[in-house]
Amino acid sequence: MESTLQEIPQSGASGANIVTASGLTKVYGEGEAEVRALDGVDVTFDSGVYTSIMGPSGSGKSTLMHILAGLDTPTTGSVEVEGTVITGLDDGDLTRLRRDKLGFVFQFFNLLPVLSAEENIVLPLSIAGKKPDQEWVDELIGRVGLGDRRDHRPSELSGGQQQRVAVARALVTRPTVLFADEPTGNLDSKSSHDVLELLRGSVDDYGQTVIMVTHEPDSAAVGDRLIALRDGRLVHDAPPVSADAVIELLKKLA
Amino acid sequence: MLGLTFKNLWARKWRSLMTAIAVVFGIALVAGTYVLTDTTNGAFNDIFVGASENTDVAITARQQVVQEDGSTPAFSSSILKEVKTVDGVRLAAGDMFSQGAILDADGDSTGGGFAPQFIASSSPEGLESVEYVEGRKARGPRETALDEAAAERSGLKLGDTILLVGTGKARPFKLVALTRLGGASFGGTSIAQVPLPVAQQLTGEQGKFDQITVAADDGVSPEELRDRIQKIVPKDLLVETGAENADRQASEIRDSLSFLSIALLAFAAIALFVGSFVIFNVFSITVAQRTREFGMLRTLGAGRSQILRTVLVEGLLIGLFASIVGILVGIGLAQGLSALLSAVGAELPSKSLVIAPRTIIASFVIGIGVTLVASLLPALRATRVPPIAALSESLISKSKSRVWLRGLIASLLTIFGLALIASVLITGTDGGTGAARMGGGAVAVVIAISIFSPQLVRPMASAIGAPLERLGLTGKLARENSQRNPSRTAVTSAALMIGLALVSFVTIFASGLNSSVTDVIDSNLKGEIILQGPGGFNPIPPEAAQLAAETPGVRAASGIRFSNVKVTEGGGRSLSSVQPASVNEVIELEWQEGSAEDLSGLGGRQAVVSASLADAAGLSRGDNFEVLSKTGKKVELTTTGILASGNLEFLGDIIVSQQEMEKNFGVNVDFFALVRTEPGQDVGDVQKRIDEAFQKPFPTVDVLNQQELKDNQKQQINTLLAMIYVLLALAVVVSLVGIVVTLILSIYERTRELGMLRSIGMSRRQVRRMIRYEAVITAVLGAVAGLILGVIFAFLIGIPLEGDGFALSYPILVLAMIVVITAIAGVLAAIYPARKASKLDVLEAVSYE
Repeated sequence: MESTLQEIPQSGASGANIVTASGLTKVYGEGEAEVRALDGVDVTFDSGVYTSIMGPSGSGKSTLMHILAGLDTPTTGSVEVEGTVITGLDDGDLTRLRRDKLGFVFQFFNLLPVLSAEENIVLPLSIAGKKPDQEWVDELIGRVGLGDRRDHRPSELSGGQQQRVAVARALVTRPTVLFADEPTGNLDSKSSHDVLELLRGSVDDYGQTVIMVTHEPDSAAVGDRLIALRDGRLVHDAPPVSADAVIELLKKLA
Repeated sequence: MLGLTFKNLWARKWRSLMTAIAVVFGIALVAGTYVLTDTTNGAFNDIFVGASENTDVAITARQQVVQEDGSTPAFSSSILKEVKTVDGVRLAAGDMFSQGAILDADGDSTGGGFAPQFIASSSPEGLESVEYVEGRKARGPRETALDEAAAERSGLKLGDTILLVGTGKARPFKLVALTRLGGASFGGTSIAQVPLPVAQQLTGEQGKFDQITVAADDGVSPEELRDRIQKIVPKDLLVETGAENADRQASEIRDSLSFLSIALLAFAAIALFVGSFVIFNVFSITVAQRTREFGMLRTLGAGRSQILRTVLVEGLLIGLFASIVGILVGIGLAQGLSALLSAVGAELPSKSLVIAPRTIIASFVIGIGVTLVASLLPALRATRVPPIAALSESLISKSKSRVWLRGLIASLLTIFGLALIASVLITGTDGGTGAARMGGGAVAVVIAISIFSPQLVRPMASAIGAPLERLGLTGKLARENSQRNPSRTAVTSAALMIGLALVSFVTIFASGLNSSVTDVIDSNLKGEIILQGPGGFNPIPPEAAQLAAETPGVRAASGIRFSNVKVTEGGGRSLSSVQPASVNEVIELEWQEGSAEDLSGLGGRQAVVSASLADAAGLSRGDNFEVLSKTGKKVELTTTGILASGNLEFLGDIIVSQQEMEKNFGVNVDFFALVRTEPGQDVGDVQKRIDEAFQKPFPTVDVLNQQELKDNQKQQINTLLAMIYVLLALAVVVSLVGIVVTLILSIYERTRELGMLRSIGMSRRQVRRMIRYEAVITAVLGAVAGLILGVIFAFLIGIPLEGDGFALSYPILVLAMIVVITAIAGVLAAIYPARKASKLDVLEAVSYE
């Protein structure tokens, strides 16, 4: 199935190369029990591009994202974010990197139940000890459609609303890269649509760079670029055509 | 971030409250102890300052050797004449102030509990130490004044007859005045005031004073007058200004009461130590449950120090809250403790509560300090949560249990702890440092056990749970549940273990003390009847033994006296005296060198010594040694015999003759007396005859047979034991709170699992039973571990005491009861958590995120 690797130039609103991964491998266990979660992955990401990462379970897609985001370390290889090699940074530098340059959206929202929607959104700024830019916060809250619910607690919001709060929280620091880990994995189709719209809009309107892991073809189709992994290797890298085409691709990979 | 901490705390307010309760008890006891002692000391201060109001200079004998009753020796009255001639002395008079007994006409005590009663001389006008509330000063040999509190207690009014007992027979007096001293309540203590010659006669100190009180001429300062008098009186007399005298007496009382605050603070420390285990557990569980939250905060860019701070600030706030509540509870507790003490006959004087800044500061420092220290490890664990934890659905953070490291640390701590304990046992350090090292050693061993106990929990819980498993599925699940988070179960039971180790330790120790005392009575006392003062520690008139000896059916009666002395090469020792002619009729001792004849042959300057003194001072028969008496006299004694060790050394380290005691050691009352009946006489009959003969002259003397004496001793030990139990109950309650919190938190964690069990058909009752069994396993685990630890400690501490005739005995039944009671307490602790678990909504539990 080598043929699935297509030599198609990267598309979309290409800007500067912002994340570069070279020669990534990740090996768990030893000897008989050895599992190669990543097996030599080279990939770059440009600014202002919305990339979806797909692959069957066990393909290494989550591991790839974790390593790109500095949450996990590769066995070999390196990752550069805006010219800084992040593999091998100490905890303090990684903390600053996450604080200043990275944003995260999780499958399970991960909002703090004790804080209101707005307080959750500005949480990264509170952590950094920065004063929020109220105009920007207001714009984000308007954009995620929670103008009338900014004082609500997460328990008073639907799943879709919670995830929109989470997206706004990820955007509030204007990160260099926004990582999303199955952001629609826990949502109904209407809410999924809203969240994907938001991510799409952040790329189109603010030039945000988004890297999203998903296993849903509909979600993947929203991005500018689709990369797919199988058995720890990059097997597909092209702009998605349609959701149906993505389903076809997945069938081939499986 | 600080706002977030507040909100988190508020969101978990019940949990935070329970955590706070874990330290509130300890802080309350600290605050209560300080308030109680400050108040008591303040009251005594008021009393002494009030009593010395008219005193410019006080002259007393220097206390050479501290006596059990704190009294100073009387001194010759001849010096008064010379004092009066000193320039600047306006008035000078001698005073008597001695322990005695004050009874109503029926012979019942007017005192409160065991509080001492005093017979004092009334001072001449201008030197009064008391205020006359009603009536007039006593005149002549048949009149007395009494403090109004005692009069009120016994319902006495002016004109009534009261009996005063000094060193002789009881004598009737007419009550002519009511007095008040210092303005504060004097506790249960009462004072009767009679004219000076009467007081001297009553206390058997004719021609002597306890104190000379001096008033200065106008324009002469007390300090100046003190210095002038100092020049003319002998060196063994202490000359102080009234203020100095009041200060010294107050500080002596403070010192003698300090054991009380030390003991109470020790119990507070135990409760706090146990509380810190509970806090540690709650924080550990909370941190584990918040793993994903910490991971998320880390992905948002929170640094490790921020995570550390957010957890520690929670600890700080809980500590702050607990301290405030603890101080308030402590103030209430001070009143409770005072009531508890007066209930056991140790009433303290009172006034309005004194809340010193030191009390507040110490409570805050201790409350916040304990909480912070206990939450430090969990907080550090929280900082090690990786950001990636935010991405996993349910990442159970399992700390890699490095068994060998745990084992190593635990063994080192155990060795360190045992070494500390051994160092005290071997070198025999007395007092504060010894107790502190002992306590430190015990703490080290307990922490070592808690560190290693997760390894012990599996097998132990498995063994304890085995019988429960026969009760069916719920029992089996409970047994498994108690083992699945061993460190959590370990810490919960360890908290209980501490309290129960101490409970079983004191139980074993008290039982050993009881049986040892019984042993001594059985094997050393040949006299079947014992004469002793009220409470067993007040002296009796020497004439009592004489009267007993004259009672028909009595073969011999022999009085025994005590005094504290200092041996030049042997330190502070207890010296007793016996009547050589009759002592061997009533006492039987074991000898190392010499025989009973050495006792009956005791003459002037001769002494029989204990093995321990002989060892310490290197004495054998015929050797001389020097003793400093309480009057400051140096007495050279010759060793005529050495007793074998054992016998609890109930006659002290030095035994001299009664004459020697009177002549050189200044004790003229018996501490107790022993009576031997004629062969063939019924002991009960003789006892009754003596009792009847004593009714009038010696109403304060108790006439006991050996069984009654044993019961008396047992009762004293048991009263003390009961107080210790009450104070240890604090620590046990704290650890039960720990079981409740831990169960609730585990249930919260297992919501989904419980929902699953319910959805496949487990009934509410079965859920409740399962939780209850888990609590019982945890509780019994702590009880058994505590019991084992208590037995080991009692055994270790018993070893060096064996030589003194102290033998441990293990009250198996009582110890078994402790385990059963703990199991029941476990069931009670589970009531609320079990109900909570059984009321979970099945659907909600299954879909719980």
